[in-house]
Amino acid sequence: MQKFKKYFLFIFLGILYGNNMNLRPTFLVLNHFDRKLSTADAALKENFTNSIFEFDSTFYLLFDNIDEYENPASSYMNTIKDLGEKHKVNFVLFNQIKHDDDRFMLEGQMFNTRSGGLIYRRKIDLTNYLNGQINELNLWVGNVTGNIEKEWQKNRESILFKNPENIVQEKTPLGAAMRSLIFPGWGQAYSGKKVSPRVWAGTESALSLAVLFNFLKYEEATKNYLANLKLYNETDDEKEVERFRNQAESDWDEHKMFSELAIAFAGATGTGWVANSIHAWIVGPRSFKNLYQKWDPQLPDTTG
Amino acid sequence: MSQLMIRHYKKFLAIMFFSLGLNAQVKLTVNTIPKKVNVKLDGVILGESPIINERISPGIHKFEIIKKGFAPLNYELVVNPAQAVHLDFFMNPIYSVKFKTEETGLVFEINDEHQWSEDFIRLNLEAGDHSLRVFKLGEIIDEQIIHVDEPKKFIYYLKKPISEE
Repeated sequence: MQKFKKYFLFIFLGILYGNNMNLRPTFLVLNHFDRKLSTADAALKENFTNSIFEFDSTFYLLFDNIDEYENPASSYMNTIKDLGEKHKVNFVLFNQIKHDDDRFMLEGQMFNTRSGGLIYRRKIDLTNYLNGQINELNLWVGNVTGNIEKEWQKNRESILFKNPENIVQEKTPLGAAMRSLIFPGWGQAYSGKKVSPRVWAGTESALSLAVLFNFLKYEEATKNYLANLKLYNETDDEKEVERFRNQAESDWDEHKMFSELAIAFAGATGTGWVANSIHAWIVGPRSFKNLYQKWDPQLPDTTG
Repeated sequence: MSQLMIRHYKKFLAIMFFSLGLNAQVKLTVNTIPKKVNVKLDGVILGESPIINERISPGIHKFEIIKKGFAPLNYELVVNPAQAVHLDFFMNPIYSVKFKTEETGLVFEINDEHQWSEDFIRLNLEAGDHSLRVFKLGEIIDEQIIHVDEPKKFIYYLKKPISEE
């Protein structure tokens, strides 16, 4: 009985192990690259641990003319079946990369060795980018094995022009306007201007100082006026009445004048502040490119 | 049984063709960059991308990919009777471009089709390279390729300032 138990356990583990092995699909990879890609085989093995890869670099037949057949999906049925039997694999993966200047074309075909038919096909024509071939190979194989990493997709997207909504400028006119609203001239300086930040900062500082000066003078004149008014009301001496009255009248005129000046300078400061912010927005940093005539100005043709 | 089949042959044929048609269909997956793009197949809206595990019959099909702010794509595809077709479409954005010159008497032409003589215009151009030609008094005086890779302003000069030479 003990022997039977061990026997059943052995068979059970064998089936379990065997099934687990069968869960991983096996691929025969036929790579045909017009330039050397020495890391391609290692990248597939490293990135797709859920699959088993076998490589045959000696296989000479190219599957690039399947469209010439009446039924392209079954055009290499017998060859695929033979390869499946010979290498004991579930699928044959044919990858072809051709380069053309700064572009490359990847054609991927996946055949099922049981039926011999083509089950997946992918053609891609892209501008070359850093490690583009390996990345596209990963995306293609990831697609058939159901294992695509976001990093590969991001790598591919790096060569594409950006969505206008996603373009983030380092410096913007609005950023300049906001800075100038906080401190006059800051936005212009942020935009790389040299003279206008000083002019705006100087003008606004002078106007602000003028407001402050006139306000202080106004307060002083008000206090003096009230003090002289009080003295005027308290005295009975004719000479002092005359003096305090004149001083109070003079203080009143001063207080009125400084009040009007403070208001005028405050208005000018505020208007200037807003104008400085608008100016910062107008001269704010925008993307531009200067184009210069490439052809030399031509002399009249006198050769006849 | 055979009498019954003959009597309902139309229904029978319809079911036969329908089941054959279903078997002959190919699994279709459409991915686009950017995502959430309207995909039309043979004039019928399939939905927004990504489109996964739709069905398509073998033969010639026409795809239309449309998104505001991007150049529309029209793509004809011969679908072979494979198990699945996986299509990736990369859409090219259209950028708003300003073109300015302080020179006088110039006529500009872009991509052999659009001409203008104004000193300031706004253009919506597809991202990528565009050919610019400049004419003066009917004679071509300059020809160059401009690269549009973001919304930007181009300023055209006939002479390069000495400081930039």
